[in-house]
Amino acid sequence: MKKYWRSIDEYKTLQKDLTLAGDGGQEFSIDGMSDEEVKGNTSRRDFLKMFGFSIGFATIATSCETPVRKAIPYLIQPEEITPGIANHYASTFYDGHDYCSILIKTREGRPIKIEGNELSPISKGATNARVQASVLNLYDNARLKAPHKDGSPSDWAHVDAEIIPALDKASADGKEIVLLTSTIISPSTKQIIKDFKDKFGNVTWLTYDAISMQAMRKANEKNFGEAFIPTYDLTNAKLVVGFNADFLGTWMSPTEYTKQYSAARKLLNGESAMLRHVQYESQYTITGGAADDRVPIKPSDEVVVLLNIYNYLAAKLSQPVYPVADTSIEFASYAEELLENQGQSIVFSGTNNLNIQLICNAINHLLGNYNQTIDLSKHYNLKQGDDQAIDQLISKIDAGNVGAVIHYNVNPAYDAPNAEAYKTALAKVELSISMADAMNETAALCKYVCPDNNYLESWNDAEPQTGVYSTQQPTIRNLFDTRQAQESFLRWMGNAQEYHDYMEAFWQANIFPLQSTFTGFIFFWNQCIHDGVFAVDAEKKDFQFTSGELKAPAFIDSGDFELVLYEKIGLGDGKYANNPWLQELPDPVTTATWDNYVCVPAKYAEENGLKLEDVVRVNDLFELPIVVQPGLAYGTVAIALGYGRTSAGKVADGLGQNAFPLLSTANGLKSLMGSKVSIERVAGKTYPLALTQEHHTMEGRDLIRETTLSKFLADPASGNEQHAKDAEVNANLYDEPKFTGFHWGMAINLNSCTGCGNCVISCQAENNVAVIGKEQVKNRRIMHWIRIDRYYSEDHENPEVLHQPLMCQHCDNAPCENVCPVAATPHSSEGLNQMAYNRCIGTRYCMNNCPYRVRRFNWFEFANNKKFDFNSSMSTDLGKLVLNPDVVVRSRGVVEKCSLCVQRIQEKKLLAKTEGRQLQDGEIKTACQQSCPGDAIVFGDLLDPNSKISEIQRNPRMYHLLEHVHTLPSTSYLTKIRNKKS
Amino acid sequence: MIFRCVNLRAGAKLFLSVTFTFLFLTIFIGKDLRAQEAKDMFGVCAACHTIGKGKLVGPDLKGVSARHEEAWLIKFIQNSQAMVLSGDETAVKLFNENNKIPMPPNDFTDEQVRSLLSYIENYVEEPAGEETAGSFADSKVAEHKKLETSHAPTKDRSRNYFSLILISICAILLSLSDLFILKMIRWKVVHIIIMLAAVFVMGGIVVVEIQNLGRQQYYSPEQPIAFSHKIHAGQNKIDCQYCHTTAEESKHAGIPSVQLCMNCHNVVKSGSQTGTTEIAKIYEALESGKPIEWIKVHNVPDHVYFNHAQHVNVGKLECQQCHGKVEEMDQIVQESTLGMGWCIECHRTTEVQFTTNDFYKNYTKLHEELNTGKRSRIVVEDIGGNDCQKCHY
Repeated sequence: MKKYWRSIDEYKTLQKDLTLAGDGGQEFSIDGMSDEEVKGNTSRRDFLKMFGFSIGFATIATSCETPVRKAIPYLIQPEEITPGIANHYASTFYDGHDYCSILIKTREGRPIKIEGNELSPISKGATNARVQASVLNLYDNARLKAPHKDGSPSDWAHVDAEIIPALDKASADGKEIVLLTSTIISPSTKQIIKDFKDKFGNVTWLTYDAISMQAMRKANEKNFGEAFIPTYDLTNAKLVVGFNADFLGTWMSPTEYTKQYSAARKLLNGESAMLRHVQYESQYTITGGAADDRVPIKPSDEVVVLLNIYNYLAAKLSQPVYPVADTSIEFASYAEELLENQGQSIVFSGTNNLNIQLICNAINHLLGNYNQTIDLSKHYNLKQGDDQAIDQLISKIDAGNVGAVIHYNVNPAYDAPNAEAYKTALAKVELSISMADAMNETAALCKYVCPDNNYLESWNDAEPQTGVYSTQQPTIRNLFDTRQAQESFLRWMGNAQEYHDYMEAFWQANIFPLQSTFTGFIFFWNQCIHDGVFAVDAEKKDFQFTSGELKAPAFIDSGDFELVLYEKIGLGDGKYANNPWLQELPDPVTTATWDNYVCVPAKYAEENGLKLEDVVRVNDLFELPIVVQPGLAYGTVAIALGYGRTSAGKVADGLGQNAFPLLSTANGLKSLMGSKVSIERVAGKTYPLALTQEHHTMEGRDLIRETTLSKFLADPASGNEQHAKDAEVNANLYDEPKFTGFHWGMAINLNSCTGCGNCVISCQAENNVAVIGKEQVKNRRIMHWIRIDRYYSEDHENPEVLHQPLMCQHCDNAPCENVCPVAATPHSSEGLNQMAYNRCIGTRYCMNNCPYRVRRFNWFEFANNKKFDFNSSMSTDLGKLVLNPDVVVRSRGVVEKCSLCVQRIQEKKLLAKTEGRQLQDGEIKTACQQSCPGDAIVFGDLLDPNSKISEIQRNPRMYHLLEHVHTLPSTSYLTKIRNKKS
Repeated sequence: MIFRCVNLRAGAKLFLSVTFTFLFLTIFIGKDLRAQEAKDMFGVCAACHTIGKGKLVGPDLKGVSARHEEAWLIKFIQNSQAMVLSGDETAVKLFNENNKIPMPPNDFTDEQVRSLLSYIENYVEEPAGEETAGSFADSKVAEHKKLETSHAPTKDRSRNYFSLILISICAILLSLSDLFILKMIRWKVVHIIIMLAAVFVMGGIVVVEIQNLGRQQYYSPEQPIAFSHKIHAGQNKIDCQYCHTTAEESKHAGIPSVQLCMNCHNVVKSGSQTGTTEIAKIYEALESGKPIEWIKVHNVPDHVYFNHAQHVNVGKLECQQCHGKVEEMDQIVQESTLGMGWCIECHRTTEVQFTTNDFYKNYTKLHEELNTGKRSRIVVEDIGGNDCQKCHY
């Protein structure tokens, strides 16, 4: 059997003693606790003081009158709102980086949760962690509360009165007005920009993306004559070979790809085939973890391997080959497989390098993948940024041609590689405007800041893919005196129209004619706003492939290390750095929270005696601690982007270091891969990091069950043999619990889980889970009800990674239940392991007795506590608006854990009761399940033999964790199956 | 003693009126089975109409069947606005005569309207007591009397242990002084027994008090508007859910918006008890745009999830079961303890709509037991109504 391990230390233990991995009880260890906490500093006098105070306080409290509570009804009841019942509105999430169609859940008129929109042909009900967390951004105290002039608050009338003449003047003087925006996918906003250009004449619109994919568009321009990003269809493919493309995590449209990917790899309904996935990558990403084969490569090897694959295929298909260096990295077998899957494979690369993209195109062309698995007619409209935008702008400013710069949804002073040069240049511009919603690094340098609404307060539309339209509607009135950017443009043009009317008119003129179902526009419009999406078939276009010369130059200088910059799944490009939920989301691979760091390969760390938390100096730029990352290609180091914000808000400022200056620019393209870097140990210096990888250990038992496709086809129970054995020997002292009515159960398909962390944030938003901060995370007190355990297996230089979501297993023989001295955690008649907070006295016996380590203790009062003021959803009046009113906020001294979203169970049960009908299977969806992009989670009634969950119970892949302990969990797992060739 | 007398008298009066009403109803039901339904239906109408007591918002309905044809009436009651819009002469005239206040459409069948009309025609004034009869001044006096009597039991029920504690302390002091100074009683066991008894009594008081900590039984704060449920729900017989609109669908029963008050108070500008002063507050709120800040009487702690729809809609409970006889209260009083024991007790004894609501089909085992006679009924507890996480999450 494979041995699974979670950290280098554990791996070393494994090498010595193969029976034990990890030690138990670390959850209660005193590692990381301060001296004060370890020793305790309560003297006899303190005790007496506390004692006296408590008695005094109790006396006063009991003699006080009960506080008067008010019930304030609406003056005029809004038609749509029923107090106590949630409304859902279809909308769109697009932040210049990710697109997602969503449902916004509102209670009494305030958005409290984001859900996936199942009607969307792109995201199909999926979200990602950032989308889930975006609802908290609405209630961010760092948001600007009014327009600003020269850094101090002003009002719209004043600001407009100064900006409009200034724009007119710039226009009259023949100076350029530069509009610097992120990629805009909104058709009506594009129209506004067009109007803006018409009005002011000399307007230059520059599109700038912090993380770019321009090389792919350039390559397509060379090969097909048009610069576009095609769409991929993983469900039609049998083999995907990815090169440094984290397409399940951060690249392009991860929610969409994860949906497709997991659908092609479910193996639940007797399929005999599954999508095979080979990933060549430098940093370890979740995409590499999900892959069947993962090959670690240095960034400089990528182009070499790709051209070798091309040559191999070309030789077999009698096409011209190109000169390239030999490589020792395995490629021939994969090339052979590609040859077997012509027209059914995809090769893509996430590297922003023209040579690489051209080779990928050539390979796909050779294999006949175009118009099979790669749709050339349907394009992505995301990532249209021009990498030279900032350079162009700087030279224009230096030439003195620029009269005004308007920043919309961009922050180049933070995320441009030449940010310093830009800052200097910007100071020379007479009229600089930012539309940022917070005083970010760029806004702080601008003369005027005209804050945009949050997306939950705005109207908008989007066309993320050719022919797929998406609408966005406000779900709350502006919290502050902000104005939607589009409306600002309209005002400055002298157009008094509301953006909503403008957009509606635009749809009537341009989008309504695309369909024939509706004859009246208003019906069409209402339907679109209701559904949130509207799609028409993209017009089929014929593209002719023009081949060009392929080359594989060494694209970096040889240095100590090749650098890989990457986006973390939580923080992305750093736009949401001030969101504490995302800061505390453990990275799915390193499991680190609250920081960025330098990932170094395990072998290098061993050779140089480096270990976790040692501080190194990077390129004489900054110091960062080290994380030893197994599977990171030797000769490579990796640093996450998105940290080192200086003007984002109190949560983000000063966390980590900004790695954007390390982006390499070659041939006018910004690349995350391959700049030269040197690292040097700062002697004796360490920096504490809060990693959750060894928290909640389950002592290396048989938790992960894994097999390969060929073994699975021969025996569906392969890898899961222990299940039958355990069932045979298990006996019970107590009567088996019997249920009537309902018995709730959950199942997780390990084949579908990519570890993306969407469920963690979704659960956090749904269940009012506290943020506890770095120090407490380090003390192993993280509160997440659902955690994603990450296991490495095999060799530590290129291990496989496996993710396992773990939450309360709702055991029918729960060990926690019978040790509670106050019966605060009994079993319900529906099979739920209940937790009654108001009864809990905090003995933590249950935590000690839980073999799954899923119970969380409130060590502190996290709500209303100044010491946890980064915990914005619980400690500020504004942040509290995000709390789910159906779930109580736990106080200090009680244990909490996953409730299987009992509030959602009760809600749907009640709905069925009021309608006098039986509950339907699949009607209740837990928060983690609803928006899971992999559809890995199934929830339902185990008593109903026809339910999906019961079907899974009969699946030979099904097993429970720690079955031999006979806890009879209601949660089950399905074995992981890798499509291995050998 | 005085309190007792008043109590007895009030009790007798209550008993008599209840008995009368009951008898009356029984006869009525015997006469026409649909009449009960019609009476319920009239509850909605009663918000704006009276039978023989003059014009309220809409016209007095006494003799309405004689004034109009039945077919016209049916159409008008079902959807008066449609008729006004279609230009029906009588309808338009009526609409204009009544200050152009539209009568909301009613989802009644023709048959239902007929029984409603026959109810109105055959309506005999209920001998409900002095408060509805007589002039305004009389009724005011009567109200006053009522107020006194309804206050009395409240005082009676509130806990007052002062004398008991005083006696206990005296008993302890006396026994102590006798034990050490006076030494009148020779057997020390007597002192000890007296002291133990006193301590026991005081301990009992402490236990009872602690149990009631944070509870607000008999809480009856003064509201920003002296709104009387007795007049609205009792006298005018407005259905509870006419104002508390969401009790059947949401966890909150809903406090009516000012807009809703205006449905009637657009026209009713003077009240029977307070004249115009209290009603004027509604207009003031509307003009100033400041909603009325009612004081919440029935509170449960944050860690308790209570849902009205579950109890009113699914469980078919009467509002009065938890809120007491609201229709007799001028100022709302919390009648029940709202303690957990009180909830649980009800869950143990209240039968579930087990066979009529299809939702419960899932409980196959219980249905079997019910059919075989192993169980005679299903109470809330049997389907897990007393699980912690039915109310605490």
